[in-house]
Amino acid sequence: MGSFGGWAGRVLRVDLSAGRIWAEDTIERYKDYLGGTGIGYKVLWDEVPADTHPYDPTNKIVFGTGPLAGTGAPCNGRTAITTLWPTCWPKPLVASGHMGGHFAAELKYAGYDALVIEGKADSPVWLSIEDQQVEIHDARGIWGQGIRRATIEISQMLGSEAVVAAIGQAGENLVPMSVVMNSVSHSAGGIGSVMGSKNLKAIGVRGTGSLRIAGAKEEWERVVKLHLSMLGANNQHVVPDSPQPWAEYYDPGSRWKASPGRKWGAAAPAIDTGTCDPHNFNRIAYRTNNAAFYLGDVAWKYTVRGNGCTGCPIRCHTLIKVPSAAAKYGIPEMGQNTCGGLNFGRSFFRTFPDGPKGEISVEASMVGMHLADDLGLWCNYSQLQRDFQKLYYDGTIRTKVGADEFKRYSWNQYEKGDPAFLFELLPRIATKEDELGTALGLGSGYLLERWSISEEEWKRDFGLQYWKLGHPKHHANEDAGQCGVIINTQYNRDPQCHSHPNFTRNGLPIAVQKRIAAEVWGSPDAVDAVKAFTPMNPGKARMAKWALLRKELHDSLSLCNWMGPWVASPLKERGYKGDDSIESLLYGLVTGDRKSREELDLTAERIFLLHRALTIRGMGTGQMRVRHDTVPEWVFADPEGKAAFTKGTNRMDRDDIAKAMDLFYQEMGWDKVSGAPTRAAYQRVGLAHVAQELAEKGLLPG
Amino acid sequence: MSAEGQDASNQQGKGEEGEGLRWEAASQAAIQVIRNRSGQGQLAAEEEILEELLALGLLEEDAANLSASLAEILSTASHTHDDLRTIPNQEGNKRYYSLQFMTETYARLLLQREGDPLQLIAEIVRENSALYPRPFPLGAFERTPFTMTREEIQRCLDQMSCHQAYQDIARTITSAGNVFLYSTLHLDPDYAATLAEWTDVGQHDNP
Repeated sequence: MGSFGGWAGRVLRVDLSAGRIWAEDTIERYKDYLGGTGIGYKVLWDEVPADTHPYDPTNKIVFGTGPLAGTGAPCNGRTAITTLWPTCWPKPLVASGHMGGHFAAELKYAGYDALVIEGKADSPVWLSIEDQQVEIHDARGIWGQGIRRATIEISQMLGSEAVVAAIGQAGENLVPMSVVMNSVSHSAGGIGSVMGSKNLKAIGVRGTGSLRIAGAKEEWERVVKLHLSMLGANNQHVVPDSPQPWAEYYDPGSRWKASPGRKWGAAAPAIDTGTCDPHNFNRIAYRTNNAAFYLGDVAWKYTVRGNGCTGCPIRCHTLIKVPSAAAKYGIPEMGQNTCGGLNFGRSFFRTFPDGPKGEISVEASMVGMHLADDLGLWCNYSQLQRDFQKLYYDGTIRTKVGADEFKRYSWNQYEKGDPAFLFELLPRIATKEDELGTALGLGSGYLLERWSISEEEWKRDFGLQYWKLGHPKHHANEDAGQCGVIINTQYNRDPQCHSHPNFTRNGLPIAVQKRIAAEVWGSPDAVDAVKAFTPMNPGKARMAKWALLRKELHDSLSLCNWMGPWVASPLKERGYKGDDSIESLLYGLVTGDRKSREELDLTAERIFLLHRALTIRGMGTGQMRVRHDTVPEWVFADPEGKAAFTKGTNRMDRDDIAKAMDLFYQEMGWDKVSGAPTRAAYQRVGLAHVAQELAEKGLLPG
Repeated sequence: MSAEGQDASNQQGKGEEGEGLRWEAASQAAIQVIRNRSGQGQLAAEEEILEELLALGLLEEDAANLSASLAEILSTASHTHDDLRTIPNQEGNKRYYSLQFMTETYARLLLQREGDPLQLIAEIVRENSALYPRPFPLGAFERTPFTMTREEIQRCLDQMSCHQAYQDIARTITSAGNVFLYSTLHLDPDYAATLAEWTDVGQHDNP
């Protein structure tokens, strides 16, 4: 691997059909794709035919880490898992899920940058990786068990330092809405059933090696400190939610919840989160309390501490201890998670007896975490819960499941907001029990098809937030207007891109945001105030491109796109600016492969274009603008009939979005008519061979 | 110069030097008081600084013009230390703070908190409505640094509704039942309502 630092140097390959284990050189094959999703897309492009079904043994799952994983770079705990996506409707296409925790670092310390799994074992197995010793084990003893039991049993075999990524019963039963989860709370959605289809219950990793940092120690420490100085709270909210002596600005909607008097009440003794001056790096972990953010102030008394991923001081997984819920429902008294996990159980309900942020809501959160994180269920960015509510309250479930099955559920309790209802519903989804359990586990697209509901109905419904291909929007027009819309057109699941909301929601006054926007995207008009959107302009197109490239860059370096990018900061002395070159600074120092921000962005663009090429090849069409990059009807509507570009609405204008797509394609150097990258666009990022293959299939414009 | 004259001059020089040192010590002590108070999230009043200097023996209680001396010490300190700032309270008395530990925003808020609570609420709401822009959750006045009781807040709102100076302060209620205040000088009612809904409900449903 030459003299590069950062990378472990090898990619581990496992063929479960043949029981074959081997490794290949990372640098030789994958350096130009960095790692993470970059390796994932590369493997799928080179090795998995377009029409492969996700559950076919020839499909591959790529657990990809990046060169920053396992180093001291802040927020380096992400593993990107790329495969053909079973909930992508009407045809599975490439997508990736992302889990935090400690799997990425442990895999690196074991000597591997990525793990590629193919084939299908004859019977249930689990994989152990202990440095160079990689073995396939019989998993029949843990098959049928939940994620917690599997994790504990494997941890007992490998030792407490090992990290275990496991699937639950949902994945085993080939429920598409399933996850793989490491360290019992860090999950990646959509992957569980693909592992289940390969009879792979879990992967246990223990690494005792180390990674080399190529740069000088002093310079490395300086850049890490620079990065730490620019961190905000979760989602890069850079101001606290209440006025504090050091803070010029504040935002009651911020995830920076720490303030004097707010205590982690379930810690012994209770800990006052206090004022967290951004210059004090030792206080970063006190800033965020996502339990309090989502569950309300009631959660403070249940909070034990923040938990999180390797190298990340943010600690967005809030650990809560609720003995009353344990006693009432017979579940563990501790639970920990961040947004989706904390909301999993409570999002099924419309109301709770004591309001949306009362004690019953906390109980629903605890029951939901207990069940979903053990059964291995996925929420699809809460689309599962939105679908369920809609289908119940409009009477569809009653008509579709049959009278006997319908009676088996305590609907009266459900309507009252009784968390015990989750014990009836969630195990049935994980085991595909009867019609309702089976249908809900399919994901929106296949569910709608099964029940003969038009996807167009879902695309019109304002409350459902459904976008396309069986998946919801994720930070769309409500975040950065047209920029959010563009980003939501580009992927085959919800886009999992936080580059733009992590700026627009950072809590700074709009004038400060515009000043920073002018420097980063060349125009103050790249951003608008919340719900006060203005017509499309080139600055917004540049921001959209930047956001997408930063997402792929983070996913390939193992940096967390839920925390970054870091173009803003909490620092008044910097004018609240961050440093948009922090990724290239870290990358260059770790690997020794010095690249400017622009050069590294080109690598990110290569990765993004490979995803685009995989999508085009998978769909068998180059007409991306009309066939793929679509926008649902609800984006062009407002519940109260407000016109686009009036204050107080997220409504977009149809012609303006058409212009937005034009400007975005232009910014990317793609063909505006088809929305497909041109040969020149592929060549510019070093993907001439990809262009050639697409041209041979008639999938290149012109 | 005669020996006698030299002695007198030396004594005078030593006296001036001693006075200068004491002056410098007083200045440093005053700076320390201001910074310490700012570090504790509080403004420093002249009386507090004076009390500290007297306690340290850096000023004498029977000095001819104590307040003039203190004013000169603080003036010198402010000119030589960029972080020191003053802000007048409603009576025109100076309050001191250090930018090393406290922003102007917070200093202003502390003064507002010292004064009329109606004005405090109005100014906070107006600032949020104009600057970010966003309405401000009523419940936030119960938390630090405001720490008003629910009853106090309600009393203030009742009084403000009858007061001509606060007729721009309006309220909106989110679907979660929480009250947000805004200023009609900066936000129209419809926009304020949607922003409040976003802060209170929308962003949690779109995590």
